[in-house]
Amino acid sequence: MTIYLKLAWRSIWRNKRRTLITISALVFAVIVSVLMQSLNRGSHELIIENMTHLQTGFVQIQDYRFQDEPSLDNSFFFDESLEKEWLAIDDRIQWVLPRIETFMLAAIDGSTRGALVFGVEVEKEQNFNQLKDRLAEGEFFRKDEYAVVISTGFSERTNLGVGDTLALIGQGRFAMSASGLFTVRGIIDHPLPDMNSQTIYMPLPVAQELLSADQMVSSVLIGLETDRHTQSVADALKNGISDEELAVFTWPELIPELLELLEFDLVGAYLMSYILYIVIAFGFFGTILTMTLERIKEFGILISVGMGRGRLAITLFLEVLVISILGVLVGAAGAWLLLYYFYLNPIELTGQLAETVIDMGWEPVLPMSFAPDQFYSQGIIVFFIAMVISIYPIYKIFSLDVIKASRV
Amino acid sequence: MAVIRTEKLCKVYNPDTIPVHALRDVSIEIQKGEFTSLVGPSGSGKTTLLNMLGALDMPSSGKSWIGDVEVTSLTDKERINFRLHNIGFVFQHYNLIPVFTAKENVSFIMLLQGVDPKTISERADELLEQVGLGDRKDSRPSQLSGGQQQRVAVARALASEPQFILADEPTANLDTKAAMNLLDLMQKMNEEQKVTFVFSTHDQRVISRARRVITLVDGALYSDKEQEPKIVLEPK
Ligand SMILES: Nc1ncnc2c1ncn2[C@@H]1O[C@H](COP(=O)(O)OP(=O)(O)OP(=O)(O)O)[C@@H](O)[C@H]1O
Ligand SMILES: [Mg+2]
Repeated sequence: MTIYLKLAWRSIWRNKRRTLITISALVFAVIVSVLMQSLNRGSHELIIENMTHLQTGFVQIQDYRFQDEPSLDNSFFFDESLEKEWLAIDDRIQWVLPRIETFMLAAIDGSTRGALVFGVEVEKEQNFNQLKDRLAEGEFFRKDEYAVVISTGFSERTNLGVGDTLALIGQGRFAMSASGLFTVRGIIDHPLPDMNSQTIYMPLPVAQELLSADQMVSSVLIGLETDRHTQSVADALKNGISDEELAVFTWPELIPELLELLEFDLVGAYLMSYILYIVIAFGFFGTILTMTLERIKEFGILISVGMGRGRLAITLFLEVLVISILGVLVGAAGAWLLLYYFYLNPIELTGQLAETVIDMGWEPVLPMSFAPDQFYSQGIIVFFIAMVISIYPIYKIFSLDVIKASRV
Repeated sequence: MAVIRTEKLCKVYNPDTIPVHALRDVSIEIQKGEFTSLVGPSGSGKTTLLNMLGALDMPSSGKSWIGDVEVTSLTDKERINFRLHNIGFVFQHYNLIPVFTAKENVSFIMLLQGVDPKTISERADELLEQVGLGDRKDSRPSQLSGGQQQRVAVARALASEPQFILADEPTANLDTKAAMNLLDLMQKMNEEQKVTFVFSTHDQRVISRARRVITLVDGALYSDKEQEPKIVLEPK
């Protein structure tokens, strides 16, 4: 084997410049592809990070009917002893966040606006998602006061500011009427644009009282240190929770549409890199084509003196493979270095775009993903290209007429 | 037993269009230890016959044997393997792998044969020493003269310990001095180690070095004579 590798290696460098150009093209393709994907996925990771922390939790527990019919009638009883019980099921469970949520109308100056009302325990939220740190103005309510924190988008829609009073009208559990007056204590930047336009937070016990749902919650979010454990913790909870009316979901199960959308959003980046790879594959093929054709005579001699066609084909395949491996390794290393550079020196957004992004509660930098599979996938693509390209020299070897080849 | 034996070898190129009868009923026998030259005008079929003797090409009809193996009945794959273990080749030019050094070129054949690395290294050194290139082991073909390259080719041909060595116009690209040096070397191998050589040539001075001269005309055997080689080996 080593002799084939030696022959392949030396043959590759027979024309240094041509090989370097081919490898550079591969390196370029890998770097551009990884960067494109990284930018795309970086923003997706940010969305998912916000989604899991503010909206779904990594794992969520609901009444089994809630998923199909998210009404207060499908809320369930939750207290501290239940919280302790669940925390004990798996020690990777770090936070347990009870929430009650419902849709209500906010009456302001004779007109009404729809709003999503969340009853939350602020200290628990703070531990898991730093909810308090997102305050743009004012402060959070105390545990038991009739006060709310509204999102910036909602504040803009309604012209409500800190200190203003807000009337909420809606329906409680079992069609009980629910209404009350609340003081706006603070305004918060919700990073999910959809939520930012309509979210109202209030203390959990207050919401329970307002909605005639004493001790009831609509969902309990489970907070973990890392997404890696989502599935196994969900499985542990499924086994550990005795109440058959409760269902356990992982976050991807809760937002399949969003994930599909994000996947779809990647198609553009994939397409771009495929086109890039096709162009580069042709260049690569050109190199291999000339590398093969200019050595036909040599192949003829090698087969004449007794080198089997299979052995020669292996050598040629190795040549293609070595070039691709060099391209992928150097490309991946380069891409990694670039990503690392951008990690240390994030690309800052400026002007209008930056303002929009800041308004959404995000940092005005281009988020980048470090997901390792971005690198693997380039390796797989290039390996695939190598396989396809090496068909030609291998075919050439097996169809070579020794006599004719030596006459060339 | 003869090393090479052919029986009514015929070769017709382009049988369907304008047929060229490159060989007509050639039956010859070559014994172990012979030093045979194949001569004839251009186009007389020397290369074609050597290709048959070397199991590189298949005749249109007729048979040939190397030792007791009928090579004309072997498949392409079997012939490649047979060549590897039984026949040494020296071509007119472009013999060597350009990216390998002289020593690697000689070793390569033995590696293909599966000889153990230690033996390979020793034997490659010894062979290069024998062909007078002990000091150029690490040179690549491009750094060697045409004559030196042909000597490496002879060393490579010997490396596989073949039953015989075929050389198609090995001196055609060499100047007189280099050509005579190569002939000296081949003759020495023949006399000292009983290596069987069959080589084709146009060159009268080369012909005169052979012990047996087979002449082809128009693809047919014209004459087959024994002779006393004119120039005897001169010590260098
Ligand atoms: N592949 C081929 N296709 C058609 N005709 C061929 C082919 N190879 C050889 N010939 C013809 O067969 C005849 C014998 O050719 P060959 O090469 O054996 O001659 P040669 O004696 O080696 O000649 P030279 O001294 O010029 O090398 C010639 O007429 C040649 O044109
Ligand atoms: Mg010829």
